[in-house]
Amino acid sequence: MKKVPLKDLAWARSGDKGDISDLGIMAFNEENYEILKKEITPEKVKAFFKDMVEGKVEVYDMPNLMAIKVVMRNALGGGATKTLRWDETGKAMATAVLRMEVEAPG
Amino acid sequence: MKKITLGAGSGYWGVPPDLPLELVQRADLDYLGLELLAELSMSILQRWKNKDPSKGYVPDLIELMKLILPHTLPKGTKIITNGGGVNPRQAAMEIARIIKELKLPPVKIGVIEGDDVFSGLDEMIKKRIELVNLDTGERDIGVIRDRIVAAHAYIGADLIIEALREGADIVIGGRLSDNALYVGPMMHEFGWSFENPDWDKIGAAVTIGHIIECGECVTGGMSNFWKGNPEPWNMGLPIAEVYENGEAVISKTPGSGGQMTVNMVREHLVYETHDPKSYLMPDAVADLTTVRLDQEGEDRVRVSNMTGKKRPDKLKVQIGYDDGYIAEAMFMVTWPEAVKKARLYEEIIMRRLDKFGLKPRETRFEWMGVNCAHGSVAPLPENEDAVNEIGLRAVAKFNTREEAYRARRFAMGGSLILGPVGTGFGAPVPERRVVALWPTLIPREEVHLTLTMMEVK
Repeated sequence: MKKVPLKDLAWARSGDKGDISDLGIMAFNEENYEILKKEITPEKVKAFFKDMVEGKVEVYDMPNLMAIKVVMRNALGGGATKTLRWDETGKAMATAVLRMEVEAPG
Repeated sequence: MKKITLGAGSGYWGVPPDLPLELVQRADLDYLGLELLAELSMSILQRWKNKDPSKGYVPDLIELMKLILPHTLPKGTKIITNGGGVNPRQAAMEIARIIKELKLPPVKIGVIEGDDVFSGLDEMIKKRIELVNLDTGERDIGVIRDRIVAAHAYIGADLIIEALREGADIVIGGRLSDNALYVGPMMHEFGWSFENPDWDKIGAAVTIGHIIECGECVTGGMSNFWKGNPEPWNMGLPIAEVYENGEAVISKTPGSGGQMTVNMVREHLVYETHDPKSYLMPDAVADLTTVRLDQEGEDRVRVSNMTGKKRPDKLKVQIGYDDGYIAEAMFMVTWPEAVKKARLYEEIIMRRLDKFGLKPRETRFEWMGVNCAHGSVAPLPENEDAVNEIGLRAVAKFNTREEAYRARRFAMGGSLILGPVGTGFGAPVPERRVVALWPTLIPREEVHLTLTMMEVK
């Protein structure tokens, strides 16, 4: 096993609803999707985002799209209208998560 | 099999008008949706209406209608929009004026009102309907009651269907949910109803609506596949050909830039949908985990096997309330030693806030070019000498405009010349008001919707 950044396995996109940051992580292929399913856990995602995500993190499978959905609460500094962050709607959370390292065979 | 064609002319307030214009010029649409609202929009529009009762609709709607109507009316394309904002009736009157000015054929406009639940809030509080904040879990709306600017329910397709049944050419409402603009026409045309519902079909309508409602976000905008995305400067808008069996083919403006591939639709099905098994919309709960995508041809994606469940008993309400003021400033510090210079500016600002007794509720420093977008996930530069410049963004939130002004005057804007050599200043940013949102749920029966048909001859 070796550590690889998500960038080498998947694409991602993110958006918001209130103070929720919503990530969609899409595997390049079936093999990578199996890795994502194992490696993307609420605990790991929450630890990765450190103080940026203060609330609960939920993870959902979308096998039909080889994708993992991650829903992070209290994750945008209060939400787009209140936050002091430049990235008010958390569109860049998607590219940030691509730095997360996961265990992959090889 | 019966088929209808729907186009998404706008997915947000601010769409460049050439995109919807090219869509209606080049495609033969049965319906055009114009989605023009974001979460904060209703509060902004309410404030405008408070100042001038003849305002409160999205101004872009009028600009777009002037361009589009000469093409849509002769083709028989019907338009459904939520650009009426907090004043759909006035927007309808403005549109009627355009139709007369441009000597366009007579039309019927359906005006949907009643999504504004502000005046009913106290009654709901009295009835002990708990207006729990879905973001924070707070239960006592009393703490913000006297600061509320606006309260609107996200409403579904019910009255869009009724307006179309009564022959509306244009349907205009306020906080119609984004995808109700598309669900309405599908349900009307295929005879799908809430009285005798087939939730898989209505779930399919919600899913198709979701795929196209954000406009160019599904045709190549904001995409991971930006490399090799054809002519993004000529981006197309999405089109859904929907069949009565509940399947659809998604394409885009003929002859436009951008792309329509399985990956485009995939990117959008994972976008802002939360739990994908239960994508909650006022018209149905769609299950996005059964959807099947197939590339049917160039720039054509077939979407099938969509399913859904019964619509929720409660409607989401977005309550906007005043929540202080933000002061903001930017300093572009430069090589050599940009990192040290940025840190010194941070110290100057903090010490000057302190000197003038200004106590922000929150303060934040971001370094543009380093960690502005990725926050604490971004790696700090290992070789500080390789950093040519840092845009130090300083932001602080206060309860009053006076404090935010003083922070800008004495500590943030006013301290510019106190720092190191070589700093670029740019144009100053004025302090701004914060409207915070309190999302909550209320029973459907607390929202009293009305439809008014207006004939323009």
